[in-house]
Amino acid sequence: MPTLPATTVDFFLAGLESFMRRSGQGTHWGVTVLRLGGKPDAEALTSRWEQIHAHHPMLGARLKRAWRGWRLVWDSPGPIPAPPVVWHPSQPLPPGAEVLRERFQGRDGGGPLHSPLLMEVFPFGQDGEHVVLLTWRHALLDGTGINLLLEKLASGDADASPPEMAVPKREGIGRVFQRARPLMKRLHAMTSAGCLSAWAKDMPKGGEPDFRVIELSHGQSELAMTRLRTICGEFLQMPFYAAVAARALRLLHEKRGWRSPEIHLHLPCQSRGRSRNLVFGNHMGTLPLFLDAGALGTLEEAVQHLLATYREAMRQDMPRASEALMTLASHLPVRWFIPAVRLTNRGQICSLFHSHTGSFLPGRSEFTGAPVQNVCTIPNVCSPPGLGVFFSDFAGRITVTLSWRRGVISPEEADLLSRGIEADLTDGSPK
Amino acid sequence: MPEAPITPATVIELLTSEHILEPHEPILPETDLFTLGLDSMAMMQLLLQIEQRFRLTVNPAEMTRERFATAGSLATFLGEKRRLAA
Repeated sequence: MPTLPATTVDFFLAGLESFMRRSGQGTHWGVTVLRLGGKPDAEALTSRWEQIHAHHPMLGARLKRAWRGWRLVWDSPGPIPAPPVVWHPSQPLPPGAEVLRERFQGRDGGGPLHSPLLMEVFPFGQDGEHVVLLTWRHALLDGTGINLLLEKLASGDADASPPEMAVPKREGIGRVFQRARPLMKRLHAMTSAGCLSAWAKDMPKGGEPDFRVIELSHGQSELAMTRLRTICGEFLQMPFYAAVAARALRLLHEKRGWRSPEIHLHLPCQSRGRSRNLVFGNHMGTLPLFLDAGALGTLEEAVQHLLATYREAMRQDMPRASEALMTLASHLPVRWFIPAVRLTNRGQICSLFHSHTGSFLPGRSEFTGAPVQNVCTIPNVCSPPGLGVFFSDFAGRITVTLSWRRGVISPEEADLLSRGIEADLTDGSPK
Repeated sequence: MPEAPITPATVIELLTSEHILEPHEPILPETDLFTLGLDSMAMMQLLLQIEQRFRLTVNPAEMTRERFATAGSLATFLGEKRRLAA
């Protein structure tokens, strides 16, 4: 049985999943919706799907401890057979929220999913439109990975053997501790400040995951892109979207009359030493940022504050500190990790999960012969923090996903968040 | 002491030594950096590295696709920016 090296982010997500299971929140699933203007090539899709399964033993892997050194490794039985691509009968409408919600909870009509990755095709309407729905376990795929998977399915180079995975360097615990110290200090400061998420102690943890997808129209997306370029230039999408997400949480706090001096945001951060050909396993590290809630008054102020905080965090080498802290934590049993984080963070994990996945399928307008209309991802989140805000972008079309746990966000609050986010993105312009 | 010139080679060295891009093949001065994965996350790291290594601050408004498309165009832009600052 081959073993493959695991990264600290793999450990983080495994810890999160363990916490979710133990607190009745199920498994950490994500869904990617690819909307096509025509029928995808069934033969090409199936063949590429099978090639991916044949060449990526990570798909059957589980995180385990190695006998030597207690380090985490992915233990793989080797390639696993590809589950069949499920073609559904044609319907008048695309798959609705109930189908997505079911997959989002790791279930299909027949019960729990037994594969970490499922592909379904839903033909709908009179014009030959299709939705390709990918359901995936977050422990094996992240925002970068899902885009790489789509690219491999689209390009047909799925049969290329995956490159060797880089084995993480081993260091003495003293040096790792020194590297982790700036972040440990910062986390202690946050604890003293009393940072709040969308979840509070009297709220349920095991509520069903729920979501809302806000597809901006072409006009709204154009407005948002103009606003983005004006505030952040052509390429700094992530701070723009992160500031919008942080302001949404601040709006929720205000509505509830809560006072959180800081918003603790996990910014996805490029992980080093990962190859773009490694589809599975987690590519991104996390950069914890602590935003002063008082500096988020307008979107422009929020972006400037976020950029300044980011700059300072990079000067203090926070990504490496975060990785070092995770390395230290990875010596814990996985099931102790999140409880330890919550204990030190006064019951919280962070305030908000935020992700910007960048542009999906950059430069591509078709997917196995069918024109692509839009792509977005919907990952489920745990409580705490109880709320995640995710942004997807395909060819200038922006889609926002709000993801939460029932009992943490009310329908009225979801409306408030949607309105706040739309207003921020489009500068209050109506639809 | 005069600062070392900013050339395509120094830009490529920065991109690879700081792991901003991790290509399978060597980056050439005319290689399209966006196809190698120069996304929003990588761009934020690149801006900081430019600031630290070349002591140049790039404003978001100055970041255009033409300037950041290749190591060659980026070196030209940064070299010009340094010359104007001097």
